Amino acid sequence: MLAAGLSIGQYARSVLHRVAALTAVLLGAIWFLDGQGYLWPAWAWLGLAVPVLLDFTADWAWRQAPGAVRRVACVWALAGVAAVILLLTWLLTWLLAGVREFWPAWALLGVATAVSSYSLFALHDRVLVAYGRRALRARIDLLTRTRRQVVAAQAAELRRIERDLHDGAQARLVALTLQLGRAEMRVTDQPDVQRLIHEAQREAHHAIDELRDLARGIVPPLLADRGLVAAVQSLAARYGFGTTIEVATHRSLSPAAERTAYFVIAEALTNTAKHAGARHSWVALADERAALVVTVGDDGRGGADANGSGIAGLRARVEALDGTLSLESPSGGGTVVKVRIPCA
Amino acid sequence: MRVVIAEDLALLREGLVALLREHDIEVVAQVEDGPALLRAIAGHEPDLAIVDVRLPPSFSDEGLLAAIEARRRQPDLGILVLSQYVETAYASELIGENTAGIGYLLKERIGDVRAFLDALERVAAGGTVLDRQVVTQLLAPRGGADDGLSRLTAREREVLELMAEGRSNTAIAEALVVTPGAVEKHITNIFTKLDLPACHDDHRRVLAVLAYLRVAR
Repeated sequence: MLAAGLSIGQYARSVLHRVAALTAVLLGAIWFLDGQGYLWPAWAWLGLAVPVLLDFTADWAWRQAPGAVRRVACVWALAGVAAVILLLTWLLTWLLAGVREFWPAWALLGVATAVSSYSLFALHDRVLVAYGRRALRARIDLLTRTRRQVVAAQAAELRRIERDLHDGAQARLVALTLQLGRAEMRVTDQPDVQRLIHEAQREAHHAIDELRDLARGIVPPLLADRGLVAAVQSLAARYGFGTTIEVATHRSLSPAAERTAYFVIAEALTNTAKHAGARHSWVALADERAALVVTVGDDGRGGADANGSGIAGLRARVEALDGTLSLESPSGGGTVVKVRIPCA
Repeated sequence: MRVVIAEDLALLREGLVALLREHDIEVVAQVEDGPALLRAIAGHEPDLAIVDVRLPPSFSDEGLLAAIEARRRQPDLGILVLSQYVETAYASELIGENTAGIGYLLKERIGDVRAFLDALERVAAGGTVLDRQVVTQLLAPRGGADDGLSRLTAREREVLELMAEGRSNTAIAEALVVTPGAVEKHITNIFTKLDLPACHDDHRRVLAVLAYLRVAR
């Protein structure tokens, strides 16, 4: 038996089952041959059934997950065996001795109540934790989804505002300066009026300038018109130090991702111009699986503060898109800002 | 002078047409998008096209692309591009190889009617007119390298910006409320500081400055 690959435990169980079955049959045969009077072997059968029953239920209980669940299963197994013994004993007293009333009722009720209460206490934490974890996951899913929607909606809204400014207020102010100009030409003989009109025109120009700055801060026109690469090229051209641009991305970016990448690059280049004393800087745009990776570096004096307000602001922008930002700026070793923006 | 206008905002288009007609400039066609501009130019053979950068359907740089295409087809056509913002990238694309008859101005310059009409004349006659903001952007703090530009005084920068618009010394003096003699002196200083050969032709002067700014980058 052992050679057939069974463990000692399994061997013991199979021996127990065979011995019990054999004894039961043997006692039955003795009763039959002895004249079949009072069915006394029934009590022995009951006694033999108990260890077999215990063996099966213990086996089932042991297969449950360790911890509270297994403990509860063991208790239920014992209680189940006890209930079966009670019921069988009652059955035999009824069949063999004619006892009419159902005497195990109170005992069964007591056992059931005790075991149920125990289970409730033992598993109560577990049920709550499982419920809480499920609720938390649903909440995270909801927040992730809605935040993504909010960010996308915000970017779309900003584009719309920029376009509305362009076609609305800005265009109307231009039309206003045009009409004022026409009026000015008609009152060349009235210097007072001409001066007033001129003043009005200057005000209109200030308003146009302010609106233009506002629109540029919302979405730089080149970014809106021609996308990230063209906008970054124009940005880099504005700085005196040589800026190399390496583009290895073919992704079509969402307005939100494009805007974030642009402002990261603009801020990093501004920092380089202001603080780094660099001779050379570079911008690289590359695709990674499901993400755009933007790297901006220079060969300046390094030592940038990773917790400074500029970097913190960029990090906040990037994190709003579930992206990451890292800064490497050893003293005297240049500065590299690397940003990863997830893209669907 | 015969002019074609490409502008999608009716308010501006109509105002512009009224302004030009008041000053005896013939508007032979008004269109709203790029393809229509190219058809109008082929059909009317105007002296000048006034084109808005943002046109339908994409409202990005359609007008600019149409203007460049129109120039390719008709190299002697004057093109004045109007925009609500200035991008140096657009200016250099527009100028390309052939600088004659090119203008790039902010839309609000229309309000200064005399200067605007003057710019139209100069572009139609083959001159170059760039908005002073183009120069401002090119002159924006570059950080690092010390070039001639950083040695210019604020006044000299202003003069340089107006020079880019192709204005004469008299016009620059008028705009800055100084004497023509003072302007002359500023210009001499600018050319010395930038190491440019002196020239007195307004148009060639713009080109010299532009060439310098482009090389300096």
